[in-house]
Amino acid sequence: MTDVQPIQGQPAPKPQTQDQSSAPLIELRDVHKSFGSIEVLKGVSMSVRDGGVVCIIGPSGSGKSTILRCINGLITIDRGTVRVGSFAVETLKKDKELVPLRHEVAMVFQQYNLFPHRTVLQNLTMAPVQVLGEKPAVVRERALALLAKVRLTGKENAYPGELSGGQQQRVAIARALAMQPRVILFDEVTAALDPEMVSEVLNVIRDLAREGMTCVLVTHEMRFAQEVADEIFFTDKGVIVEHGPPGRLFKCPNDPRLKAFLDKVL
Amino acid sequence: MNAHVKIFLVGVLGVTLVLVALFVAVYGADSGAILRGVAGRTPLLLSGSADFSAFEGGFAANIVISLWAMALAAVAGTALGVGMISQSAVIRGPSVLVMNVLRNSPWLVVLYAMLYLLPFEVRIFGRFVEISPMIKATIGLALPVTANIAEVFRGGVGSVPTGQWESARALGYRRLQILRRVVVPQAIPIMTPNLMTTYAMLFIGSSLVVVTGTHDVLSVARTVIASDGDHVATAVYLYILYLFFLFCFPIAILTRWLEQRVRVRK
Ligand SMILES: Nc1ncnc2c1ncn2[C@@H]1O[C@H](COP(=O)(O)OP(=O)(O)OP(=O)(O)O)[C@@H](O)[C@H]1O
Ligand SMILES: [Mg+2]
Repeated sequence: MTDVQPIQGQPAPKPQTQDQSSAPLIELRDVHKSFGSIEVLKGVSMSVRDGGVVCIIGPSGSGKSTILRCINGLITIDRGTVRVGSFAVETLKKDKELVPLRHEVAMVFQQYNLFPHRTVLQNLTMAPVQVLGEKPAVVRERALALLAKVRLTGKENAYPGELSGGQQQRVAIARALAMQPRVILFDEVTAALDPEMVSEVLNVIRDLAREGMTCVLVTHEMRFAQEVADEIFFTDKGVIVEHGPPGRLFKCPNDPRLKAFLDKVL
Repeated sequence: MNAHVKIFLVGVLGVTLVLVALFVAVYGADSGAILRGVAGRTPLLLSGSADFSAFEGGFAANIVISLWAMALAAVAGTALGVGMISQSAVIRGPSVLVMNVLRNSPWLVVLYAMLYLLPFEVRIFGRFVEISPMIKATIGLALPVTANIAEVFRGGVGSVPTGQWESARALGYRRLQILRRVVVPQAIPIMTPNLMTTYAMLFIGSSLVVVTGTHDVLSVARTVIASDGDHVATAVYLYILYLFFLFCFPIAILTRWLEQRVRVRK
């Protein structure tokens, strides 16, 4: 088995002109997905511009995580289209075809999912070296800089099990960044954390959002969503019920389901 | 480890006493003479030679055969295990079938089958290479153990949380890479005790290879009994029992120690 996988096809170049950057980087159209007989997504459409920060909110089981997994091709969809940059995600079937997409779209999980048998530094360098075939020395430099960015300098040689939840989640964010993605998907990344560690992770995400990283966040932190997002999507039972800028959505929600949801969580 | 050392010492002492008691019960006043006689056969039983000049037979042959069989089975069992967890039904189905056939084959039957299925010699690059009884014995023992190892592999891989697969996939790793880089390294501590138990079982099973005509410890024992007389038979077999116990018991203790360590670390 080979480890070093040459990138198939070039990733789409970053849009440079003002005009292009207004075209969405991520676009979902009428996405349907069933697990067995349960239809989890019933025609989801949404778009995210390059550099945009959007939050997906909604009750448990409404399909938020499933939407994220469609964007980076972790699950295949039954109907509709998912486009990320130049990739038509729904047409990528083989693991090999998905590698360039995974390079563009990174993901951070609720349970961190760090590799416990590898040190913090190795967690960051593994995939760029083994999957993208980059030079170890180059990746190492980048990884050290990223650890500094998430304020974990000095923890290079620690194992994930020796870190607190907040620290582990920051390592996971650094690991995602080490792939040099254009988009990062965050799936309830603070939900498993003790309250005092939530802000250290949110601070890191806030910095990323300000630097122009395209972020799609599933979150229950409504205050944070209101602060960082330029658009909020509210999902319920597999459809996007309402979306809009946080100011409007939180202050004067139209749909009764959103009203009920906000009453409960705010 | 202390508690384990104690169990080990008590076990060795206890079994030694029981075997000595049996011995004395059988031989009574002749015990001393018989013991000296059998002890004199030690080089032959251990090495297959009268003066330790070679190690091609006797108990040494059992060790050599078992190690080779284990190595063969480890390679084949891992391949079979990978097949059993394949996503493609075309690979998975036959793999599971083969595993079940092998696992449910009586060892002795497989050994006899090897005698008749494997040719006396094979032609490799125009030269005839003899397939010795020892090679047949090794292959015959390795086959059922392959199934055991495949099962251990499947269990070990299954014990790694699915989040590890998901995050590795999100980083662009492909299936076999995930197994090799992420999942199997984490499964090894869980698999090791099971593999050791499998080896101990294989080692005990190596006493069956006498039917292939190998000069293992049992075939040497037969020779000894034929030359020294039937009255030493009980003594010789008790001696061999003791040898097997001394070899396998430390493995069992080590296995238990490892198992506990894995459990503590979780
Ligand atoms: N792999 C799967 N197989 C079967 N059913 C699934 C699978 N993944 C998700 N589901 C189901 O799809 C529905 C939506 O799941 P999803 O994880 O997208 O919800 P969610 O909005 O992220 O919820 P939560 O807030 O609890 O994380 C749930 O009913 C879930 O049980
Ligand atoms: Mg979810």
